[in-house]
Amino acid sequence: MARKKTNEKVRTKITFKDIKKQGFLMVVSFFVVVYGIIFYYWPLTGWIMAFQNYKPKKGLLGSKFVGLDKFKFLFEDEVFIKVIRNTFAMGVINLVTTTIMAVLFAIILNEVRRAWIKKPIQTISYLPHFLSWIVVTSIIHVSLSPTGIVNDLLLRFGVIKQAINFFAFPKYFWPIVAFANCWKETGWNAIIYLAAITAIDPALYEAASIDGADRLQKIRYITFPGIKPTFLILLLMNVGNVLNAGFEVQYLLGNGLVQSVSQTIDIYVLKWGISQNDYSLGTAAGLFKSAVSIAIIVIANKLAKKYSDQRLF
Amino acid sequence: MKVKKIAALLLSCAMMTSLLAGCGNTAGGGAADTGAADTAATADTAADTSADTGSDDAGSGEVTNFTMFITMPGSEINDDNEIAQMIADKWGVKVKETWLTGQTASEATGTLIAGGEYPDFIDSDEMNLLVDADALVPLDDYIDQYPEFRDTWFTPEEWDKFRQPDGHIYWINPFGNTMGETKQTTHNDEAFWIQVRVLEWANYPKIETMDQYFQLLEDYIAANPTMDDGTENMAYTILCEDWRYFCLENAGQFLAGYPNDGSVIVNKETMTIEDYNTSEDTKLYLKKLNEEYQKGFVDPESFTQTYDEYIAKLSTGRVLGMVDQWWDFAYTVNDSFKQSGLDLKGCNYVPLGLTTKPGMENRWHTYDDTVNQASGIAITTDCADPDKAFKFLVDCAMDQELHDLRFWGVQGVDYDVDADGLFYRTDEQRQNWADTSYQAAHRCQYTYFPQWHGTSRDGKNANKPEEQPSEFMNDMAEPLKNCFNAYGYTTYPQFIGSVVETNGPWFPMYSYSNNFTTETPGGVAWAKMGEVKHEWLPKVVMAKDFDKGYAEYMDAYNACKPEDFIAEMQAILDTFK
Repeated sequence: MARKKTNEKVRTKITFKDIKKQGFLMVVSFFVVVYGIIFYYWPLTGWIMAFQNYKPKKGLLGSKFVGLDKFKFLFEDEVFIKVIRNTFAMGVINLVTTTIMAVLFAIILNEVRRAWIKKPIQTISYLPHFLSWIVVTSIIHVSLSPTGIVNDLLLRFGVIKQAINFFAFPKYFWPIVAFANCWKETGWNAIIYLAAITAIDPALYEAASIDGADRLQKIRYITFPGIKPTFLILLLMNVGNVLNAGFEVQYLLGNGLVQSVSQTIDIYVLKWGISQNDYSLGTAAGLFKSAVSIAIIVIANKLAKKYSDQRLF
Repeated sequence: MKVKKIAALLLSCAMMTSLLAGCGNTAGGGAADTGAADTAATADTAADTSADTGSDDAGSGEVTNFTMFITMPGSEINDDNEIAQMIADKWGVKVKETWLTGQTASEATGTLIAGGEYPDFIDSDEMNLLVDADALVPLDDYIDQYPEFRDTWFTPEEWDKFRQPDGHIYWINPFGNTMGETKQTTHNDEAFWIQVRVLEWANYPKIETMDQYFQLLEDYIAANPTMDDGTENMAYTILCEDWRYFCLENAGQFLAGYPNDGSVIVNKETMTIEDYNTSEDTKLYLKKLNEEYQKGFVDPESFTQTYDEYIAKLSTGRVLGMVDQWWDFAYTVNDSFKQSGLDLKGCNYVPLGLTTKPGMENRWHTYDDTVNQASGIAITTDCADPDKAFKFLVDCAMDQELHDLRFWGVQGVDYDVDADGLFYRTDEQRQNWADTSYQAAHRCQYTYFPQWHGTSRDGKNANKPEEQPSEFMNDMAEPLKNCFNAYGYTTYPQFIGSVVETNGPWFPMYSYSNNFTTETPGGVAWAKMGEVKHEWLPKVVMAKDFDKGYAEYMDAYNACKPEDFIAEMQAILDTFK
C-alpha cells in the first residue's frame, strides 16, 4: 500500500483484498449509506416542487412547471425580505450569545474546586434543555407580562414607574429570544466545553503555578487555547445552522404587534406555504434557506482552513 | 458485576422498544377495528332506504370505531365514556374526536394533506384544501339514499350552496338548523358583553352607544376598584390572538347597524360590497378605544395575551366587559363561574347591541338559521366504511333518542321528566353537567355531528337544554335572573334588540372569504390585509396621537391593494343579483 504524503498526489490503489479485510466495516457502513441516501438525498428530488405550481392531487410529475415564478414572488415580497433579516439577526444573536455563555459557564464551573457543589450545579444547569419550548415560552410569557414577576420587581425597586408590556415592543423581541435560548441551552452546550477543559493536561496548570500565574492568567493562557479546537469546530457546525434560528420560540412568543421582527423563514413558509396550500412557495423558501446555509458553511470552512488547523471538510 | 451487565442489557432493550412505540398504524387506524365480516352486513343495512329508523344495528353487532378531527379547540372525552359506550351499543358507532391544539386550522389541515393520512371524519375551516387534495368522499349518492334526511335537513337551494365547482357535495354543515318552533334563548354571536353586577349597581340603565357603555364601566371602577376578595377590577379587555382578533377587528360593521357578514358590509339596496375597515364607524370605534386605553381602562395586556390567558382572566370574574362571540368564551367561563361561585356575585355576562348613535337599528343578532357553506362534517377517503359512517351521520340528525342522549344525557341520571312530560334538571344534575371531569367521563355530545335547535319531535321539549325555557331560567344564578327580570326579558337576544329580518341568500359573506387562497389576487390581498390589521389595529389603539397612527395604518392598509379583495367579493355577490 503506497503511503500518501502531504504534497504528493499518490493514488492509493484499493484492491479487493483490502475490501474483504474490512468486510464487517463495509457492511455496516453500507447500511448507513443506504439510510443516508433514502432519508437525506432522495427527498431532495422534491426540490423540483419549487419550480412547479405543485398540487398534491397531481403529484410531482403532473404539476405545471412555472420556472422561477415562485422565487420571483418571494423576493418581490417585502415581508419575505424582512423575514430573512429577522432569521439572520436572531440566528447570529443566538449563536453569539449562546456560545459566549456556554464558554463562560464552562470556565467558571471548572474553577469550582469542590465536586459536591460542581456536580449538582452542572446537572441542574442542563435540565432546562429537556423542557419543551411550550413550557419555557409559557413561563417567559407570564413572567414578562405587565402583571408578571419581572415588572413586579422593577416597580418595587423603583426602576420603572409603570409596568412595561415587553411583548408589545418590537425592540425587546430579539433580546428576549436570545435570553430564552441562553436560559435553556447554556447548561447543555457547556457540557462539551467542560469535557474539553477536563481534557487539558493538568501538568500545564502546575507548570503555570510554578511560573507564578494567578487564576485569571491560567484561564487566559491555558484554558482558552486548550478549548480553541473544540470552540472552532462547534462554531463551524453551528454557523451553518444560523438560518434555522428557529420556529417554536418565535411562533409561541410572537404576536401581531411584533410580527415585523418575530417572523422567521419557517413561520413564513407555514403561513404562506402550508396554510395557503401553496407547497411550491414553501419549498422555494426552504430551497433558498438550504442554498444560503451551504454557502455559509463552505465559506466558513475555507476561512477556518486558512487561519487555523480546524476544519470540517 | 454480572448484575450490572444484565441491568445494562435490560435497560438498552427497554430503550429500543420505546423507540418502536412511536410506530403505530395511524392511517384509518380506527376503522381498522371493524372486522372484514361486518362490512358486508353494514353495507346491507346502509343500502336500505328506510331512512329515519333509529335502527339498532343489532344485526351487524360489531361496533365500528371512527376517528374524527375538528379544527377547533375542544376537550377529548375519555375512551370509556359512558354515553359514548351507550351510543356504540345501540347505533354501532363510536367516534374518537381529536381537537385543534397549538396550531391554526390552516396549518393543521395543510399538515394533514402534506402527510396524506386522514381521519375518517373531518370538519375543517379549510375544506377547499381538502377537496383540492382529493381527500373527501362525494356525499351526493349517500344523501340520495336517505330521502327523508335529505328533505328535512336542507332545502334544495341550501343543498346547492354546498355544491362544489365539480358538482359534488363533500360536506354537510351540522349546525344552525331549527326544528319546529324556535326556542332560541342564547345569543350565539358577537356583542359587547357586560357583567350583570355592573348593570345592577347602576340600577339597570339602558345602554345604547359606546360612550354610554364606557362611561358606565368607568363609573363602576371608580366606585368599586376591587372585588370582594381584593382582586382589582378590570374595565375592558380585548382578545386579538390570531384568528380570534375579530374581537377587535370587525365591531365596526355591527356598530354601523349591519349584520355579521364577517369580512365586508353588504349594502342591500345597491347590492354593493362596502369595506368596513375604512368606514367612519370603525374609525370612531378605534378612536373610542384609543381614548379609553390612554385613560387606562383598557387592559394593557390585550394585544399580547394568548387565548388561554384571556379565558383565565375572564374566569377570575374581574373583567367587566369585552367584545366577543358567545361560543368563544361562554361555555368555558360560565361553567367555571358555576364551579367557583362567582355567578352568585353577578359575574355572568349579558350582551349589548351598541351602535354608533343612539336609536339606530342594529343587527348584532341573526334571527334565522345561518347556513355556513364554508365548512361542515365530511367523510374522507381514508374511511374504511363510508356507508356506516354516513348512516351514523343521518342517525344523529334523524334519531330523537340519540339526539336526547347527546344533549340531555341519560334520563334519570342527567335529567328527569315531570308530570307534563317536560324535561327538567335538579341543581345537582346541573352542577354535574357543568363539571369538566364529569363531562369527560360521562357526557358525549359529538358536537360536530348534525344537531338541531328548536323543538324536539315530541313537540314539547327543546332539543337543547339551554333552550328549554324552564331550564334556561332555572339554570341562572340569582343576579343574572334579577337582571333579566328588571328589564323584562326572557331571552338573551332581547337584550340586544336587533331587527328581526331574514338575511339575503349570500349571507354570510365570510363563508366565501374564508375559502380564499393566494391563488387569486383577491386572496393575496385578503391575506396581506390580515397581516396588516394584526399589526396595526393594536398600534392604532395604543397610539399617543390617534390621527397620526390611523393615517399610518391607512397607508399600510392601502398598500395591500384591498380593492382586489373587494372586487372579488363583489363578483361573488353579483351572482346573487
